[in-house]
Amino acid sequence: MNAIVAIDTSIYAQRAAEFFSFRYAFALEALGASILVGAICALVGTFLVLRGMSLIGDATGHATLPGVCVAFLLVGAKSMGALLAGALVSALAAALLIGVISRGPRTRPDAAIGIVLSVFFGFGIVLLSYIQNSPTGAQSGLGGFLFGNAAGISRDQLIALLATSLGLGALVGVFYRPLKLTVFDEGFARSIGIPTSLVQMALLSALAVCVVISIQAVGVVLVAAMLIIPPSAALFLSKRLGHVLLFAMLVGAVSGALGAFLSYMAEGVATGPAMVLVAAALFLGALFFGPRGGVVPSWVRRASSARAIAARRGG
Amino acid sequence: MLSWLVDPWTWGAWMWRGMLSVTLVAVACAVLGVFLYLRRMSLVADALAHVALPGIVAAFLISGSLSAPVMLFGAALTGLLATVGIETLSRRPNIRPDAAIGIVFTAMFAAGVILLSTRVQDAHIDTHCLLFGDVLGVSDRSIWLLAFVTPLVLVLVAVFYRWLSASSFDPGFAKSLGIPVAAVHYGLMTAVSLTTVASFEAVGAILVIALIIVPAATAHRLSDRLHLMLAFAVAHGVVSATVGMYVAIWIDSSAAGAIVVTGGLIYAAVFLFGPRHGLVFSPGRHCGQGLGPEASSINALEG
Repeated sequence: MNAIVAIDTSIYAQRAAEFFSFRYAFALEALGASILVGAICALVGTFLVLRGMSLIGDATGHATLPGVCVAFLLVGAKSMGALLAGALVSALAAALLIGVISRGPRTRPDAAIGIVLSVFFGFGIVLLSYIQNSPTGAQSGLGGFLFGNAAGISRDQLIALLATSLGLGALVGVFYRPLKLTVFDEGFARSIGIPTSLVQMALLSALAVCVVISIQAVGVVLVAAMLIIPPSAALFLSKRLGHVLLFAMLVGAVSGALGAFLSYMAEGVATGPAMVLVAAALFLGALFFGPRGGVVPSWVRRASSARAIAARRGG
Repeated sequence: MLSWLVDPWTWGAWMWRGMLSVTLVAVACAVLGVFLYLRRMSLVADALAHVALPGIVAAFLISGSLSAPVMLFGAALTGLLATVGIETLSRRPNIRPDAAIGIVFTAMFAAGVILLSTRVQDAHIDTHCLLFGDVLGVSDRSIWLLAFVTPLVLVLVAVFYRWLSASSFDPGFAKSLGIPVAAVHYGLMTAVSLTTVASFEAVGAILVIALIIVPAATAHRLSDRLHLMLAFAVAHGVVSATVGMYVAIWIDSSAAGAIVVTGGLIYAAVFLFGPRHGLVFSPGRHCGQGLGPEASSINALEG
């Protein structure tokens, strides 16, 4: 028993040394991609969470699957550009459809999200099983899109990912004021002439782009977690939007880095779930110890104010 | 000419078994889905379906067996844990309810996927099967489980019909009548957890959501009355299950996926051409004038 444990730890130490020596380009690329994806998802996700659109991110993530499969069927080979273009089209279609259905008279917004999510994903599963049952598709590797495989990201893809992330970040920087006003007070934003529905559309498009560039690393099923969890953690750390964005991106990037590392260390662990678990652990930390509304600080504050009141009464 | 309708039934027992299990799944999911829909908790079904996965895997790792009671217990436990977690998180001022749902179920689902891919090196649990279902290879255990859970759900709904409907439409009023609203809520959540576990093998963790949400949403576009909504939802579930099975056989694809897509198409048809609230055939009526008194009371509650 002891010997087995010793062997195990030595394997892990060896793998950790391997990972940090950065001898293998693919490990480095996986690490870079995961950090970028964590940060960019957190950036876009903060606006979604503040606007109460968290689960639209979930639906958009699931909805990319049919697009990927249709693109594969059309192009025939695994061309990453075509697959991601397909994903973008179906993510945008899903986001628009949720808007159309929930504006209709008799469907509740939450049900609209659920309908679009499950039906798109169901269609994706039909196509995926069809592809995998056909003779050419068995080795298509499309299964990696379900839970993410950061190790499959090439240098070119990493560069494209970096460029897109910088573009999205720059757009958020340029339109920071209208975004901020729309998120916090839509009525006021409209009254001072900000086209809030345009801002909403832009946000949905940014969401679609962000989801599409992330699915290779985290997978379609769990991309929502990287949109929701880091911003929610950051909301326990600060009140100011600028700080929340920075903290969220930090939490996202750290989850990405540790997630990529853990998935490299442990055999069979996909990158997506590993990133999500790290993010969830960081969220728990923020929930308990965050200075703004965290469990422990508010408990301490309540206790000390109770003591102060008791002291005043006594004196 | 009808051979393509009849032939699959003669190819072996799998068609009978598959059709039996998807019908049972569709009926139970549709009935529970209507109550979740009325409570605006459709997405809680999304969460519960996802967290049943870690429940089943953890129960298997602890007990080493995959017997039905163990699976049901594990999933009911994680379901309750998730419900309590979502409610606790939503109560904090800086977390919205939808974000709370998103945090809890994605984290638990990720844990389930990791446990499944690292700790379970056993042929009895197949990742792909748990996530996406395998209607045509459904096991005896799963059929027996469904044959137990679906009638149980129907009987419970029939027995507690008044409590369920009162607390779904107006929790405050229900409480004033002395109905234990909280107990009904947790009972419903447990029923959803049990149904998702029973449905796992046939349709998988993710697609069961569609069978819970889409029939109820379709039924709400067709009727305002609760018993009619239930009837329409069950009809939607059974029709999409049957048609979906045939489609899956013809194109050789995932049956669960085909069922979900069929259900989505039926919803789209009702959305566009529904007799009372469709977008196409009811000019001028889709602005709220066409709603009966009951519908306007539902809408008032929504606000």
